[in-house]
Amino acid sequence: MSNFRTFILALTASFGLPWLCLIIIPTIKYQALTPIAYDKEKDGIEGYYPPAPINRQGQLVYAREGCAQCHTQMIRPTQLALDGWRKGWGQDQETRPAAPVRSNTLHDYLGEPYAFLGVQRIGPDLTNYAWRAPSRELIHQLLYAPRSLHDWSTMPVFSNLYLNQLAQGPVSEKALKLPIKFAPKTGYEVVPTPEAEALVDYLLSLKKDYLIPGMTAAAAAPAKK
Amino acid sequence: MQTTPSSADTDLLADNLRRAAIDKSVKGPVLFLFLNGAFWLMASTILGVLAALKLFAPSFLGDFAVLQYGRLQPTHINALVYGWGVQAGLGVMLWIMARRSGQELKSGKSALYVAGVFWNIAVTLGLVSILTGGSTSMEWMEMPKWVWPIMLISFMTFAWPMVSMFTRAYRPEGFMVSTWYVLGACFWFPWIFVTANVALHCLPGLGALGAGINAWYVHAIILLFFTPVAIGSAYYFIPKVTGQPIASGQLAQLGFWALACLGGWPGMQHFMGGPLPAWMPAIGAATGVLLLIPVGVVGLNHHLTTLGKHDLVATSPTLRFTFFGAAFYPVSGILLAVLSAFSTGADLQFTSAWYGFQIIAIYGFFSMCVFGAIYYIVPRLTGCEWLSVRLIRNHFWFSAYGIATIVITSLVAGIQQGGDLNHPDMWDQDFMQLVLNTRGYVIARAIAWALITWSNVWFLIHLLLMVAGLGRRSSAPTLLHHGHEESALPHGAHA
Repeated sequence: MSNFRTFILALTASFGLPWLCLIIIPTIKYQALTPIAYDKEKDGIEGYYPPAPINRQGQLVYAREGCAQCHTQMIRPTQLALDGWRKGWGQDQETRPAAPVRSNTLHDYLGEPYAFLGVQRIGPDLTNYAWRAPSRELIHQLLYAPRSLHDWSTMPVFSNLYLNQLAQGPVSEKALKLPIKFAPKTGYEVVPTPEAEALVDYLLSLKKDYLIPGMTAAAAAPAKK
Repeated sequence: MQTTPSSADTDLLADNLRRAAIDKSVKGPVLFLFLNGAFWLMASTILGVLAALKLFAPSFLGDFAVLQYGRLQPTHINALVYGWGVQAGLGVMLWIMARRSGQELKSGKSALYVAGVFWNIAVTLGLVSILTGGSTSMEWMEMPKWVWPIMLISFMTFAWPMVSMFTRAYRPEGFMVSTWYVLGACFWFPWIFVTANVALHCLPGLGALGAGINAWYVHAIILLFFTPVAIGSAYYFIPKVTGQPIASGQLAQLGFWALACLGGWPGMQHFMGGPLPAWMPAIGAATGVLLLIPVGVVGLNHHLTTLGKHDLVATSPTLRFTFFGAAFYPVSGILLAVLSAFSTGADLQFTSAWYGFQIIAIYGFFSMCVFGAIYYIVPRLTGCEWLSVRLIRNHFWFSAYGIATIVITSLVAGIQQGGDLNHPDMWDQDFMQLVLNTRGYVIARAIAWALITWSNVWFLIHLLLMVAGLGRRSSAPTLLHHGHEESALPHGAHA
């Protein structure tokens, strides 16, 4: 290196190239990404892809509690991993679906400010959780007392999202129906806060295996409506 | 370009005076950074113990939201990265840059103190926010978005005097490998930091691309901040203590430019098989493996420089820590390659192997090099020698065993976890088996962090005593005697 300016230029060039290619250009291109309209004749359905946005209020709760530390939201293709064949991880809840769940595309996360693809997979993947989700009450029970459903679970207890309050008058309709071991003291009830409701709304909005426009139903996910 | 003891006594005296003046000029800010860094390191290791325990027993210490794994784990990592890593790194960078370029820190010392204080305030507020429910859940960027401008300005306040020292002392004919690495770190960190924070906090949502940028950020900070600081420090202290010049200047250049050219690419392979356009993970994977070139080159160079002086590893605390850290550079490089290549990476994706890589890079490699540097720098700044050989030895062995345990268990647990996730028999099973299988490893991790906490509590106390000026009053450095005479150290090592 003959002089200082050459040195700095070389540093700028060597880092600037990946910076431009991996960050700047894709970021600019991403801004142009818009929902794609389904073709009634080819796809057999109307509307736009992706059809439904996620619940952002609940996603904020998901973020602040750090759910992504243990739950992923990304189905990998079958040549890389067996995610697509896991039971119930897609729209098709049958024991032996005809085709694997499809892997995800950039469009699946359109409209999400940030996609929580996840850090580790200590709990199940939640990409398409809404298809297999039990009732609202059971999801609340899972969040409030995970060990009441699976005694081996290492999921944290999110009691901060629930009010353990003195039942005044008749027990609230929203109160969780918990097994005796996990139930509050007599006269008390456990009621979800708006945050818990938002989180459940979010979980119930997680559907990311909709038909991709232009792909035939057979090639794409098992799309039985 | 090594500082070799000059033959004439007067020259030597003048040299020593010059060194003392440089040391005196950077004393305050460097000690401030080391001390605060050591505090955050201790906090981070305690959080590491807690997080591992919470992963095993989620209701340990009660079901308070503040202490749940989803909040503790990011706090633990962020304290390690920003509280300890960047801060201690800046201290080492400042000292090496001042010494290597032969420049005193002329002015602006109070600005450095202010920047240091603000950095610590930002980290404190950021970590408290994560714990109390302000986490953004973006890896290494969990702190709320108002924190990063403060951190950026603080960093730039430290980077500026280093850059000006470098330019003032720039010698066209000379190749100064450690200052190159230090300058590189000054240059890359703000660029990466601004890019990722603007992209993820200021632009309208980027969806899955945001996740890719986040993974790139983590890799880039490891490869283009922690790595250059640690290598720069090793390139400075290995020749210094062994008294041998760097084995090959050409290898050193090659290692530097290969890292500079490749370090910006990896990251997106973290989400291989994910929603990102396929070429992005592919190029990340390719460069993640190609990084084995600079890793091998630098490893070889360090090995050749130490060759024949291995007995000094037993005696000199600086060399022992640096040697261990430098040896972990190839190990972390190989681990990155294994995690990046699609054939092996898919099985280790979303497992604790990723955690193992972060810890090996920040603690096993970077921190051990920085400890080596601290054991050399602090006595020169405080004017007294380390108090206790036992404490240093205790620090080394507990750290070494602790880090080895974490890395090995995270890796083996990762293989186990990946196998459980991808095994065909598991297609209709719930996660019970996976959770039960990882328990033993998580307990081992908690114990390992406890060992490291133990070593770092003593390190912090030892450092506090040194900064308070309560060290040994002696002209001979504190060495880890192993049946060797003190005179085994060449003269340059005392300078």
